[in-house]
Amino acid sequence: MDDVAGRVRKVLGASLPSGVITENIDDEFPLVELGVGIDSVARLELLVALEQEFRMRLDEEEITPLFFESVGNMARHIKFKLGAASA
Amino acid sequence: MQTMNELFQESVERFGSRPAIIDEDRYLTYGEFGEAVNSLASLLAARGVGRGDKVAILLPNSMEFAAAFFASASLGAVSVPVNNLCKEDEIRFYVTDSGAKVLLTDAVLKETAESAASGSGAVVAVIRGEAADWVYLEGQTVNSEPAEVEAGDDAIFLYSTGSTGKPKRVARTHYNLVALAQNHSHTAGFTDRDKVLFVVPLSHTYAFGNFISSVRGGAASIMLEQFNRKRVLDVLEKEAVTIFPAVPVMLDALTGTFTPEEKDLSRLRLVISAGAPLREESFRKFHERFSIYPRQLYGSTETGVISINLAEDIERRPASVGRPVSQVTVKVFGEGGEELKTGAEGELAVRSPSMARGYDGLPDETEKVFRNGYYFTGDLGSIDAEGYIYITGRRKFFINAGGYKVDPAEVENVLLAMPGIAEAAVLGVEDKSGKEHVKAVLVSERPVSAGEVVEHCRGKLADYKIPLSIEFRKELPRSPAGKVLKERLK
Repeated sequence: MDDVAGRVRKVLGASLPSGVITENIDDEFPLVELGVGIDSVARLELLVALEQEFRMRLDEEEITPLFFESVGNMARHIKFKLGAASA
Repeated sequence: MQTMNELFQESVERFGSRPAIIDEDRYLTYGEFGEAVNSLASLLAARGVGRGDKVAILLPNSMEFAAAFFASASLGAVSVPVNNLCKEDEIRFYVTDSGAKVLLTDAVLKETAESAASGSGAVVAVIRGEAADWVYLEGQTVNSEPAEVEAGDDAIFLYSTGSTGKPKRVARTHYNLVALAQNHSHTAGFTDRDKVLFVVPLSHTYAFGNFISSVRGGAASIMLEQFNRKRVLDVLEKEAVTIFPAVPVMLDALTGTFTPEEKDLSRLRLVISAGAPLREESFRKFHERFSIYPRQLYGSTETGVISINLAEDIERRPASVGRPVSQVTVKVFGEGGEELKTGAEGELAVRSPSMARGYDGLPDETEKVFRNGYYFTGDLGSIDAEGYIYITGRRKFFINAGGYKVDPAEVENVLLAMPGIAEAAVLGVEDKSGKEHVKAVLVSERPVSAGEVVEHCRGKLADYKIPLSIEFRKELPRSPAGKVLKERLK
Protein backbone atom coordinates (compact mmCIF):
# COMPACT_ATOMS: atom_id res chain seq x y z
CA MET A 1 0.00 0.00 0.00
CA ASP A 2 1.18 3.48 -0.81
CA ASP A 3 2.12 4.74 2.63
CA VAL A 4 1.27 8.39 2.02
CA ALA A 5 -2.13 7.55 0.53
CA GLY A 6 -2.76 5.18 3.43
CA ARG A 7 -2.00 7.88 5.96
CA VAL A 8 -4.24 10.33 4.06
CA ARG A 9 -7.05 7.74 4.30
CA LYS A 10 -6.49 7.42 8.02
CA VAL A 11 -6.68 11.21 8.51
CA LEU A 12 -9.73 11.39 6.28
CA GLY A 13 -11.44 8.65 8.27
CA ALA A 14 -10.92 10.58 11.49
CA SER A 15 -12.26 13.82 10.03
CA LEU A 16 -15.46 12.52 8.46
CA PRO A 17 -18.76 12.08 10.26
CA SER A 18 -19.00 8.79 12.14
CA GLY A 19 -19.77 5.68 10.19
CA VAL A 20 -17.76 6.39 7.04
CA ILE A 21 -15.07 3.78 6.39
CA THR A 22 -12.23 5.19 4.34
CA GLU A 23 -9.79 2.26 4.34
CA ASN A 24 -11.13 0.79 1.13
CA ILE A 25 -11.63 4.03 -0.76
CA ASP A 26 -9.91 3.94 -4.12
CA ASP A 27 -7.25 6.61 -4.73
CA GLU A 28 -9.38 8.23 -7.43
CA PHE A 29 -12.80 7.86 -5.78
CA PRO A 30 -14.55 11.27 -6.00
CA LEU A 31 -14.53 12.43 -2.39
CA VAL A 32 -17.33 14.91 -3.02
CA GLU A 33 -19.60 11.87 -2.67
CA LEU A 34 -18.54 11.83 1.01
CA GLY A 35 -18.97 15.56 1.43
CA VAL A 36 -15.23 16.26 1.37
CA GLY A 37 -14.11 19.68 0.15
CA ILE A 38 -17.53 21.33 0.11
CA ASP A 39 -17.37 23.53 3.11
CA SER A 40 -14.50 25.79 4.13
CA VAL A 41 -14.58 24.75 7.78
CA ALA A 42 -14.29 21.06 6.96
CA ARG A 43 -11.53 21.80 4.43
CA LEU A 44 -9.62 23.72 7.08
CA GLU A 45 -9.98 20.94 9.65
CA LEU A 46 -8.73 18.38 7.14
CA LEU A 47 -5.70 20.53 6.28
CA VAL A 48 -4.80 20.93 9.96
CA ALA A 49 -5.12 17.18 10.50
CA LEU A 50 -2.92 16.45 7.46
CA GLU A 51 -0.32 18.95 8.70
CA GLN A 52 -0.17 17.19 12.02
CA GLU A 53 0.08 13.76 10.41
CA PHE A 54 2.86 14.72 8.00
CA ARG A 55 4.54 17.42 10.13
CA MET A 56 4.50 19.81 7.22
CA ARG A 57 2.91 23.10 6.41
CA LEU A 58 0.00 23.14 3.94
CA ASP A 59 -0.94 26.77 3.43
CA GLU A 60 -4.42 27.63 2.25
CA GLU A 61 -2.94 29.62 -0.67
CA GLU A 62 -1.21 26.58 -2.17
CA ILE A 63 -4.24 24.32 -1.94
CA THR A 64 -6.69 24.31 -4.86
CA PRO A 65 -10.13 22.64 -4.95
CA LEU A 66 -8.48 19.80 -6.93
CA PHE A 67 -6.54 18.81 -3.80
CA PHE A 68 -9.72 17.72 -2.04
CA GLU A 69 -11.17 15.77 -4.98
CA SER A 70 -9.48 12.45 -4.22
CA VAL A 71 -7.10 10.64 -1.89
CA GLY A 72 -4.72 10.36 -4.85
CA ASN A 73 -4.62 14.12 -5.39
CA MET A 74 -3.90 14.77 -1.72
CA ALA A 75 -1.22 12.07 -1.61
CA ARG A 76 0.46 13.36 -4.79
CA HIS A 77 0.63 16.90 -3.45
CA ILE A 78 1.99 15.77 -0.10
CA LYS A 79 4.56 13.47 -1.71
CA PHE A 80 5.67 16.35 -3.95
CA LYS A 81 6.15 18.55 -0.90
CA LEU A 82 7.90 15.82 1.07
CA GLY A 83 10.22 15.31 -1.90
CA ALA A 84 10.87 19.02 -2.22
CA ALA A 85 11.67 19.24 1.49
CA SER A 86 14.14 16.37 1.39
CA ALA A 87 15.77 17.39 -1.93
CA MET B 1 -29.34 58.78 23.83
CA GLN B 2 -26.94 59.23 20.91
CA THR B 3 -27.40 58.01 17.35
CA MET B 4 -24.71 55.85 15.76
CA ASN B 5 -23.62 58.85 13.72
CA GLU B 6 -23.13 60.90 16.88
CA LEU B 7 -21.21 58.06 18.50
CA PHE B 8 -19.02 57.85 15.41
CA GLN B 9 -18.39 61.60 15.21
CA GLU B 10 -17.44 61.60 18.88
CA SER B 11 -14.80 58.93 18.23
CA VAL B 12 -13.52 60.82 15.17
CA GLU B 13 -13.07 63.92 17.32
CA ARG B 14 -11.62 62.17 20.36
CA PHE B 15 -9.28 59.78 18.54
CA GLY B 16 -8.63 61.73 15.32
CA SER B 17 -4.96 60.85 14.95
CA ARG B 18 -5.21 57.31 16.29
CA PRO B 19 -5.46 54.32 13.90
CA ALA B 20 -9.06 53.37 13.08
CA ILE B 21 -8.88 50.90 10.20
CA ILE B 22 -6.06 48.70 8.94
CA ASP B 23 -7.03 46.91 5.73
CA GLU B 24 -4.07 45.19 4.02
CA ASP B 25 -1.69 48.06 3.22
CA ARG B 26 -4.19 50.83 4.01
CA TYR B 27 -3.92 52.54 7.39
CA LEU B 28 -6.62 55.09 8.20
CA THR B 29 -6.71 57.24 11.29
CA TYR B 30 -10.07 58.08 12.83
CA GLY B 31 -9.81 61.48 11.13
CA GLU B 32 -9.22 59.87 7.72
CA PHE B 33 -11.88 57.25 8.29
CA GLY B 34 -14.32 60.05 9.10
CA GLU B 35 -13.51 61.63 5.75
CA ALA B 36 -13.93 58.29 3.97
CA VAL B 37 -17.35 57.84 5.58
CA ASN B 38 -18.36 61.34 4.60
CA SER B 39 -17.17 60.76 1.05
CA LEU B 40 -19.12 57.50 0.73
CA ALA B 41 -22.19 59.15 2.23
CA SER B 42 -22.05 61.71 -0.58
CA LEU B 43 -22.08 58.89 -3.14
CA LEU B 44 -25.09 57.30 -1.43
CA ALA B 45 -26.88 60.64 -1.23
CA ALA B 46 -26.24 61.10 -4.95
CA ARG B 47 -27.93 57.71 -5.51
CA GLY B 48 -30.97 59.09 -3.72
CA VAL B 49 -30.40 57.40 -0.36
CA GLY B 50 -31.99 59.21 2.57
CA ARG B 51 -33.58 58.63 5.94
CA GLY B 52 -35.30 55.27 6.19
CA ASP B 53 -33.91 53.88 2.92
CA LYS B 54 -32.26 50.47 3.04
CA VAL B 55 -28.65 49.94 1.93
CA ALA B 56 -27.60 46.31 1.43
CA ILE B 57 -23.90 45.70 2.06
CA LEU B 58 -22.47 42.65 0.27
CA LEU B 59 -18.80 42.99 1.11
CA PRO B 60 -16.08 41.05 2.90
CA ASN B 61 -14.51 42.49 6.03
CA SER B 62 -12.91 45.68 4.74
CA MET B 63 -12.59 49.41 5.19
CA GLU B 64 -15.42 49.73 2.67
CA PHE B 65 -17.78 47.58 4.75
CA ALA B 66 -17.03 49.68 7.82
CA ALA B 67 -17.46 52.93 5.89
CA ALA B 68 -20.70 51.70 4.29
CA PHE B 69 -22.32 51.15 7.66
CA PHE B 70 -21.40 54.54 9.12
CA ALA B 71 -22.12 56.37 5.83
CA SER B 72 -25.62 54.86 5.76
CA ALA B 73 -26.14 55.72 9.44
CA SER B 74 -25.14 59.33 8.83
CA LEU B 75 -27.91 59.62 6.23
CA GLY B 76 -30.46 57.95 8.47
CA ALA B 77 -30.48 54.93 6.15
CA VAL B 78 -30.72 51.34 7.38
CA SER B 79 -27.79 48.99 6.69
CA VAL B 80 -28.55 45.44 5.59
CA PRO B 81 -25.32 43.41 5.85
CA VAL B 82 -25.27 40.30 3.66
CA ASN B 83 -22.67 37.57 4.17
CA ASN B 84 -20.39 37.56 1.12
CA LEU B 85 -20.48 33.73 1.14
CA CYS B 86 -24.17 33.85 0.18
CA LYS B 87 -25.23 32.65 -3.25
CA GLU B 88 -27.39 34.53 -5.72
CA ASP B 89 -30.77 33.23 -4.53
CA GLU B 90 -29.90 34.01 -0.92
CA ILE B 91 -28.72 37.52 -1.80
CA ARG B 92 -31.93 38.08 -3.79
CA PHE B 93 -33.95 37.20 -0.72
CA TYR B 94 -32.15 39.73 1.49
CA VAL B 95 -32.33 42.51 -1.11
CA THR B 96 -36.01 41.89 -1.80
CA ASP B 97 -37.12 41.26 1.77
CA SER B 98 -35.41 44.40 3.06
CA GLY B 99 -36.56 46.55 0.14
CA ALA B 100 -32.98 47.72 -0.43
CA LYS B 101 -32.59 50.81 -2.56
CA VAL B 102 -28.86 50.30 -3.13
CA LEU B 103 -26.70 47.19 -3.02
CA LEU B 104 -23.05 47.97 -2.25
CA THR B 105 -20.53 45.34 -3.30
CA ASP B 106 -17.05 44.74 -4.69
CA ALA B 107 -15.66 43.93 -8.12
CA VAL B 108 -15.52 40.20 -7.37
CA LEU B 109 -19.21 39.94 -6.47
CA LYS B 110 -20.48 42.52 -8.96
CA GLU B 111 -22.01 40.09 -11.47
CA THR B 112 -23.70 37.99 -8.79
CA ALA B 113 -24.97 41.14 -7.10
CA GLU B 114 -26.41 42.49 -10.36
CA SER B 115 -28.20 39.22 -11.10
CA ALA B 116 -29.51 39.01 -7.54
CA ALA B 117 -30.75 42.62 -7.57
CA SER B 118 -32.28 42.35 -11.02
CA GLY B 119 -35.97 43.25 -10.89
CA SER B 120 -35.83 44.25 -7.24
CA GLY B 121 -35.42 47.96 -7.86
CA ALA B 122 -32.08 48.05 -6.05
CA VAL B 123 -29.17 49.79 -7.76
CA VAL B 124 -25.78 48.05 -7.53
CA ALA B 125 -22.76 50.20 -6.71
CA VAL B 126 -19.22 48.78 -6.63
CA ILE B 127 -17.17 50.42 -3.90
CA ARG B 128 -14.19 48.06 -3.64
CA GLY B 129 -11.81 46.62 -6.21
CA GLU B 130 -11.32 47.39 -9.88
CA ALA B 131 -13.53 49.88 -11.72
CA ALA B 132 -15.26 50.89 -8.49
CA ASP B 133 -17.93 53.60 -8.47
CA TRP B 134 -16.29 54.99 -5.35
CA VAL B 135 -12.65 55.14 -4.37
CA TYR B 136 -11.70 56.48 -1.00
CA LEU B 137 -10.63 60.13 -1.19
CA GLU B 138 -10.28 60.11 -4.94
CA GLY B 139 -12.87 61.87 -7.02
CA GLN B 140 -15.68 62.31 -4.53
CA THR B 141 -14.98 65.40 -2.50
CA VAL B 142 -18.57 66.56 -2.05
CA ASN B 143 -19.44 66.62 1.61
CA SER B 144 -22.74 65.20 2.65
CA GLU B 145 -24.78 66.73 5.42
CA PRO B 146 -25.80 64.34 8.19
CA ALA B 147 -29.54 63.79 8.13
CA GLU B 148 -31.92 64.37 11.02
CA VAL B 149 -31.91 61.00 12.72
CA GLU B 150 -33.69 59.93 15.89
CA ALA B 151 -32.27 57.36 18.32
CA GLY B 152 -35.43 55.32 17.78
CA ASP B 153 -34.89 55.06 14.02
CA ASP B 154 -33.84 51.70 12.59
CA ALA B 155 -30.09 51.54 11.96
CA ILE B 156 -29.55 47.98 10.83
CA PHE B 157 -31.44 44.89 9.68
CA LEU B 158 -29.82 41.62 10.67
CA TYR B 159 -31.32 38.25 9.87
CA SER B 160 -31.85 35.49 12.39
CA THR B 161 -31.83 31.82 11.50
CA GLY B 162 -35.11 30.23 12.45
CA SER B 163 -37.05 27.13 11.69
CA THR B 164 -39.41 28.73 9.24
CA GLY B 165 -37.42 28.06 6.07
CA LYS B 166 -36.51 31.73 5.64
CA PRO B 167 -34.35 34.00 7.82
CA LYS B 168 -36.28 36.36 10.08
CA ARG B 169 -35.61 40.10 9.83
CA VAL B 170 -34.41 41.70 13.06
CA ALA B 171 -34.45 45.50 13.14
CA ARG B 172 -32.12 47.21 15.59
CA THR B 173 -32.36 50.93 16.22
CA HIS B 174 -29.65 53.53 16.76
CA TYR B 175 -30.56 53.39 20.45
CA ASN B 176 -30.03 49.59 20.48
CA LEU B 177 -26.65 49.78 18.76
CA VAL B 178 -25.32 52.68 20.82
CA ALA B 179 -26.31 50.79 23.98
CA LEU B 180 -24.56 47.67 22.70
CA ALA B 181 -21.36 49.57 21.84
CA GLN B 182 -21.34 51.37 25.19
CA ASN B 183 -22.09 48.33 27.31
CA HIS B 184 -19.75 45.87 25.60
CA SER B 185 -16.83 48.31 25.21
CA HIS B 186 -17.25 49.28 28.86
CA THR B 187 -17.32 45.66 30.07
CA ALA B 188 -14.52 44.31 27.85
CA GLY B 189 -12.50 47.51 28.12
CA PHE B 190 -11.88 48.49 24.49
CA THR B 191 -9.50 51.49 24.39
CA ASP B 192 -7.52 53.46 21.84
CA ARG B 193 -4.49 51.30 22.73
CA ASP B 194 -6.23 48.19 21.41
CA LYS B 195 -5.93 46.59 18.01
CA VAL B 196 -8.79 44.24 17.21
CA LEU B 197 -8.48 41.63 14.46
CA PHE B 198 -11.71 41.06 12.51
CA VAL B 199 -11.67 37.83 10.58
CA VAL B 200 -15.12 36.66 11.71
CA PRO B 201 -17.58 38.24 9.25
CA LEU B 202 -18.73 41.76 10.07
CA SER B 203 -22.06 40.89 8.46
CA HIS B 204 -22.76 38.73 11.51
CA THR B 205 -24.01 40.14 14.82
CA TYR B 206 -20.98 38.82 16.76
CA ALA B 207 -18.29 40.61 14.77
CA PHE B 208 -20.50 43.62 14.14
CA GLY B 209 -21.11 44.12 17.87
CA ASN B 210 -17.40 43.93 18.57
CA PHE B 211 -16.67 46.31 15.68
CA ILE B 212 -18.94 49.10 16.87
CA SER B 213 -17.60 48.55 20.40
CA SER B 214 -14.08 49.01 19.02
CA VAL B 215 -15.09 52.26 17.37
CA ARG B 216 -16.74 53.42 20.59
CA GLY B 217 -13.52 52.70 22.52
CA GLY B 218 -11.21 54.23 19.90
CA ALA B 219 -9.51 50.90 19.06
CA ALA B 220 -7.98 50.08 15.67
CA SER B 221 -9.92 47.53 13.61
CA ILE B 222 -7.80 45.26 11.44
CA MET B 223 -9.78 43.80 8.55
CA LEU B 224 -9.13 40.38 7.04
CA GLU B 225 -11.33 39.13 4.20
CA GLN B 226 -11.08 35.46 5.11
CA PHE B 227 -9.60 33.08 7.63
CA ASN B 228 -6.19 31.94 6.50
CA ARG B 229 -4.11 30.49 9.32
CA LYS B 230 -0.73 31.75 8.13
CA ARG B 231 -2.13 35.23 7.49
CA VAL B 232 -3.94 35.36 10.82
CA LEU B 233 -0.87 34.27 12.78
CA ASP B 234 1.32 36.73 10.86
CA VAL B 235 -1.10 39.61 11.50
CA LEU B 236 -1.54 38.73 15.18
CA GLU B 237 2.22 38.95 15.60
CA LYS B 238 3.17 41.76 13.19
CA GLU B 239 0.38 44.13 14.18
CA ALA B 240 0.67 43.27 17.89
CA VAL B 241 -3.07 42.54 18.01
CA THR B 242 -4.56 42.84 21.51
CA ILE B 243 -8.15 41.58 20.98
CA PHE B 244 -9.13 38.67 18.74
CA PRO B 245 -12.79 37.68 18.34
CA ALA B 246 -12.90 34.15 16.90
CA VAL B 247 -15.04 31.04 16.65
CA PRO B 248 -13.94 27.69 18.15
CA VAL B 249 -13.07 26.14 14.80
CA MET B 250 -10.58 28.96 14.17
CA LEU B 251 -9.00 28.52 17.58
CA ASP B 252 -8.66 24.76 16.99
CA ALA B 253 -7.14 25.37 13.58
CA LEU B 254 -4.60 27.84 14.94
CA THR B 255 -3.71 25.50 17.80
CA GLY B 256 -3.10 22.64 15.39
CA THR B 257 -1.26 24.61 12.72
CA PHE B 258 2.24 23.42 12.02
CA THR B 259 4.73 26.29 12.12
CA PRO B 260 8.52 25.93 12.00
CA GLU B 261 8.86 28.53 14.76
CA GLU B 262 6.50 29.91 17.37
CA LYS B 263 4.77 33.25 16.87
CA ASP B 264 5.05 35.98 19.47
CA LEU B 265 1.46 36.69 20.44
CA SER B 266 2.35 38.19 23.80
CA ARG B 267 0.40 41.39 23.11
CA LEU B 268 -2.90 39.49 22.90
CA ARG B 269 -4.90 40.31 26.02
CA LEU B 270 -8.36 39.08 25.04
CA VAL B 271 -9.22 36.14 22.80
CA ILE B 272 -12.98 35.84 22.46
CA SER B 273 -14.78 32.66 21.43
CA ALA B 274 -18.42 32.70 20.33
CA GLY B 275 -20.76 31.22 17.75
CA ALA B 276 -20.54 27.67 19.10
CA PRO B 277 -19.63 26.06 22.42
CA LEU B 278 -15.89 26.03 23.18
CA ARG B 279 -14.80 22.58 24.27
CA GLU B 280 -12.59 22.42 27.35
CA GLU B 281 -9.94 20.58 25.34
CA SER B 282 -9.85 23.48 22.84
CA PHE B 283 -9.66 25.98 25.70
CA ARG B 284 -6.68 24.22 27.31
CA LYS B 285 -4.79 23.40 24.11
CA PHE B 286 -5.04 27.00 22.86
CA HIS B 287 -3.54 28.14 26.16
CA GLU B 288 -0.78 25.52 25.97
CA ARG B 289 0.21 26.77 22.54
CA PHE B 290 -0.28 30.54 22.87
CA SER B 291 -0.26 31.17 26.66
CA ILE B 292 -3.66 32.85 26.72
CA TYR B 293 -7.06 31.39 27.55
CA PRO B 294 -9.94 32.03 25.13
CA ARG B 295 -12.97 33.55 26.82
CA GLN B 296 -16.49 32.65 25.81
CA LEU B 297 -18.94 35.35 24.78
CA TYR B 298 -22.67 34.83 24.48
CA GLY B 299 -24.84 36.85 22.16
CA SER B 300 -27.63 36.67 19.63
CA THR B 301 -28.86 38.52 16.59
CA GLU B 302 -31.93 39.57 18.56
CA THR B 303 -30.01 41.07 21.51
CA GLY B 304 -26.39 41.68 20.56
CA VAL B 305 -23.78 40.84 23.20
CA ILE B 306 -25.30 39.25 26.30
CA SER B 307 -22.34 38.12 28.42
CA ILE B 308 -18.60 37.46 28.39
CA ASN B 309 -16.45 35.35 30.67
CA LEU B 310 -13.83 37.72 32.07
CA ALA B 311 -13.31 35.68 35.26
CA GLU B 312 -9.87 36.04 36.83
CA ASP B 313 -10.04 32.36 37.74
CA ILE B 314 -11.00 31.34 34.21
CA GLU B 315 -9.29 27.93 34.66
CA ARG B 316 -12.04 27.03 37.13
CA ARG B 317 -14.92 27.91 34.83
CA PRO B 318 -13.93 27.61 31.17
CA ALA B 319 -17.37 26.32 30.21
CA SER B 320 -19.15 29.47 31.35
CA VAL B 321 -20.15 32.20 28.91
CA GLY B 322 -19.58 34.62 31.77
CA ARG B 323 -21.65 37.26 33.45
CA PRO B 324 -23.98 39.67 31.67
CA VAL B 325 -22.33 42.77 30.22
CA SER B 326 -23.22 46.15 31.65
CA GLN B 327 -26.98 47.00 31.65
CA VAL B 328 -28.00 43.48 30.60
CA THR B 329 -30.10 41.13 32.74
CA VAL B 330 -30.29 37.38 32.24
CA LYS B 331 -32.80 35.14 34.01
CA VAL B 332 -33.71 31.47 33.86
CA PHE B 333 -37.34 30.46 33.41
CA GLY B 334 -39.03 27.08 33.80
CA GLU B 335 -41.47 25.37 31.44
CA GLY B 336 -44.40 27.02 33.16
CA GLY B 337 -42.95 30.49 32.81
CA GLU B 338 -41.80 30.69 36.45
CA GLU B 339 -38.42 32.22 37.29
CA LEU B 340 -36.02 29.53 38.50
CA LYS B 341 -33.61 29.64 41.41
CA THR B 342 -29.84 29.82 41.27
CA GLY B 343 -28.31 26.77 39.65
CA ALA B 344 -31.55 25.38 38.23
CA GLU B 345 -31.68 24.62 34.52
CA GLY B 346 -34.27 26.27 32.32
CA GLU B 347 -34.60 28.61 29.36
CA LEU B 348 -32.32 31.65 29.37
CA ALA B 349 -34.12 34.96 28.84
CA VAL B 350 -32.50 38.34 28.29
CA ARG B 351 -33.51 41.91 28.95
CA SER B 352 -31.19 44.39 27.29
CA PRO B 353 -31.28 47.95 25.96
CA SER B 354 -29.70 46.62 22.78
CA MET B 355 -32.39 44.04 22.02
CA ALA B 356 -34.70 44.28 19.04
CA ARG B 357 -38.44 44.85 19.34
CA GLY B 358 -39.18 41.64 17.46
CA TYR B 359 -39.23 40.09 14.00
CA ASP B 360 -40.47 42.45 11.34
CA GLY B 361 -43.69 41.30 9.75
CA LEU B 362 -43.84 38.13 11.85
CA PRO B 363 -46.12 38.90 14.84
CA ASP B 364 -46.66 35.25 15.74
CA GLU B 365 -42.96 34.45 15.75
CA THR B 366 -42.32 37.62 17.75
CA GLU B 367 -44.95 36.79 20.35
CA LYS B 368 -43.40 33.38 20.93
CA VAL B 369 -40.02 34.70 22.04
CA PHE B 370 -40.39 38.38 22.98
CA ARG B 371 -42.46 38.28 26.17
CA ASN B 372 -42.78 40.50 29.24
CA GLY B 373 -39.79 42.65 28.28
CA TYR B 374 -37.54 39.62 27.81
CA TYR B 375 -36.19 37.84 24.78
CA PHE B 376 -36.46 34.09 25.31
CA THR B 377 -33.31 32.78 23.68
CA GLY B 378 -34.30 29.14 23.16
CA ASP B 379 -31.03 28.24 24.88
CA LEU B 380 -31.18 26.04 27.97
CA GLY B 381 -28.85 26.83 30.83
CA SER B 382 -28.32 27.91 34.40
CA ILE B 383 -26.74 30.71 36.41
CA ASP B 384 -24.51 29.92 39.40
CA ALA B 385 -24.33 31.77 42.73
CA GLU B 386 -21.65 34.11 41.41
CA GLY B 387 -23.74 35.06 38.39
CA TYR B 388 -21.87 32.98 35.80
CA ILE B 389 -24.05 31.66 32.98
CA TYR B 390 -23.73 28.11 31.65
CA ILE B 391 -25.43 26.98 28.44
CA THR B 392 -26.38 23.33 28.47
CA GLY B 393 -28.52 22.85 25.40
CA ARG B 394 -30.96 24.48 23.07
CA ARG B 395 -34.65 24.35 22.43
CA LYS B 396 -34.56 25.95 19.00
CA PHE B 397 -34.01 23.66 16.08
CA PHE B 398 -31.12 24.78 13.95
CA ILE B 399 -27.74 23.33 13.05
CA ASN B 400 -24.58 25.05 14.23
CA ALA B 401 -22.03 24.44 11.46
CA GLY B 402 -18.74 25.87 12.67
CA GLY B 403 -20.48 28.90 14.16
CA TYR B 404 -22.87 29.48 11.28
CA LYS B 405 -26.51 28.75 12.07
CA VAL B 406 -28.29 26.67 9.46
CA ASP B 407 -32.08 26.38 9.21
CA PRO B 408 -32.87 22.74 8.23
CA ALA B 409 -36.10 23.81 6.54
CA GLU B 410 -34.22 26.13 4.18
CA VAL B 411 -31.91 23.29 3.08
CA GLU B 412 -34.84 20.87 2.78
CA ASN B 413 -36.66 23.30 0.48
CA VAL B 414 -33.65 23.45 -1.84
CA LEU B 415 -33.27 19.65 -1.82
CA LEU B 416 -36.97 19.09 -2.54
CA ALA B 417 -36.67 21.34 -5.59
CA MET B 418 -34.18 18.88 -7.12
CA PRO B 419 -35.71 16.62 -9.78
CA GLY B 420 -35.90 13.04 -8.53
CA ILE B 421 -35.99 13.90 -4.83
CA ALA B 422 -39.29 12.92 -3.25
CA GLU B 423 -38.59 13.52 0.42
CA ALA B 424 -35.84 15.27 2.37
CA ALA B 425 -34.98 15.59 6.03
CA VAL B 426 -32.04 17.73 7.16
CA LEU B 427 -30.52 17.50 10.60
CA GLY B 428 -27.32 18.14 12.52
CA VAL B 429 -24.99 15.27 13.31
CA GLU B 430 -21.88 15.38 15.44
CA ASP B 431 -18.54 14.11 14.20
CA LYS B 432 -16.05 12.25 16.38
CA SER B 433 -14.82 15.49 17.96
CA GLY B 434 -18.33 16.64 18.84
CA LYS B 435 -18.67 19.26 16.09
CA GLU B 436 -21.93 19.56 14.23
CA HIS B 437 -22.35 19.00 10.49
CA VAL B 438 -25.31 19.22 8.14
CA LYS B 439 -26.73 15.83 7.18
CA ALA B 440 -29.44 15.13 4.62
CA VAL B 441 -31.52 11.98 4.47
CA LEU B 442 -33.25 11.66 1.12
CA VAL B 443 -35.85 9.51 -0.56
CA SER B 444 -35.33 9.54 -4.31
CA GLU B 445 -37.66 8.50 -7.12
CA ARG B 446 -34.72 7.47 -9.34
CA PRO B 447 -31.01 6.80 -8.78
CA VAL B 448 -29.33 10.04 -7.66
CA SER B 449 -25.73 10.32 -6.45
CA ALA B 450 -24.50 12.36 -3.51
CA GLY B 451 -22.30 14.29 -5.94
CA GLU B 452 -25.37 15.31 -7.97
CA VAL B 453 -27.09 16.48 -4.80
CA VAL B 454 -24.06 18.61 -3.89
CA GLU B 455 -23.94 20.07 -7.39
CA HIS B 456 -27.65 20.92 -7.16
CA CYS B 457 -27.06 22.79 -3.90
CA ARG B 458 -24.07 24.75 -5.13
CA GLY B 459 -25.15 28.18 -6.31
CA LYS B 460 -28.35 27.96 -4.27
CA LEU B 461 -26.95 27.62 -0.77
CA ALA B 462 -23.87 29.05 0.92
CA ASP B 463 -21.24 26.30 1.16
CA TYR B 464 -21.61 25.86 4.92
CA LYS B 465 -25.30 24.94 4.44
CA ILE B 466 -24.61 22.15 1.91
CA PRO B 467 -24.92 18.70 3.52
CA LEU B 468 -21.56 17.08 4.22
CA SER B 469 -23.25 13.77 4.81
CA ILE B 470 -25.95 12.42 2.48
CA GLU B 471 -27.89 9.23 3.06
CA PHE B 472 -30.54 7.66 0.87
CA ARG B 473 -33.43 5.68 2.35
CA LYS B 474 -36.54 4.03 0.98
CA GLU B 475 -38.69 6.08 3.33
CA LEU B 476 -38.39 8.50 6.23
CA PRO B 477 -39.50 7.45 9.71
CA ARG B 478 -42.64 9.36 10.65
CA SER B 479 -44.88 9.74 13.67
CA PRO B 480 -48.57 8.72 13.38
CA ALA B 481 -49.25 12.40 12.68
CA GLY B 482 -46.84 12.32 9.75
CA LYS B 483 -44.01 14.31 11.36
CA VAL B 484 -40.52 13.16 10.37
CA LEU B 485 -38.76 11.63 13.38
CA LYS B 486 -35.36 13.20 12.93
CA GLU B 487 -33.92 11.72 16.10
CA ARG B 488 -34.09 8.34 14.39
CA LEU B 489 -32.01 9.61 11.47
CA LYS B 490 -28.92 10.56 13.46
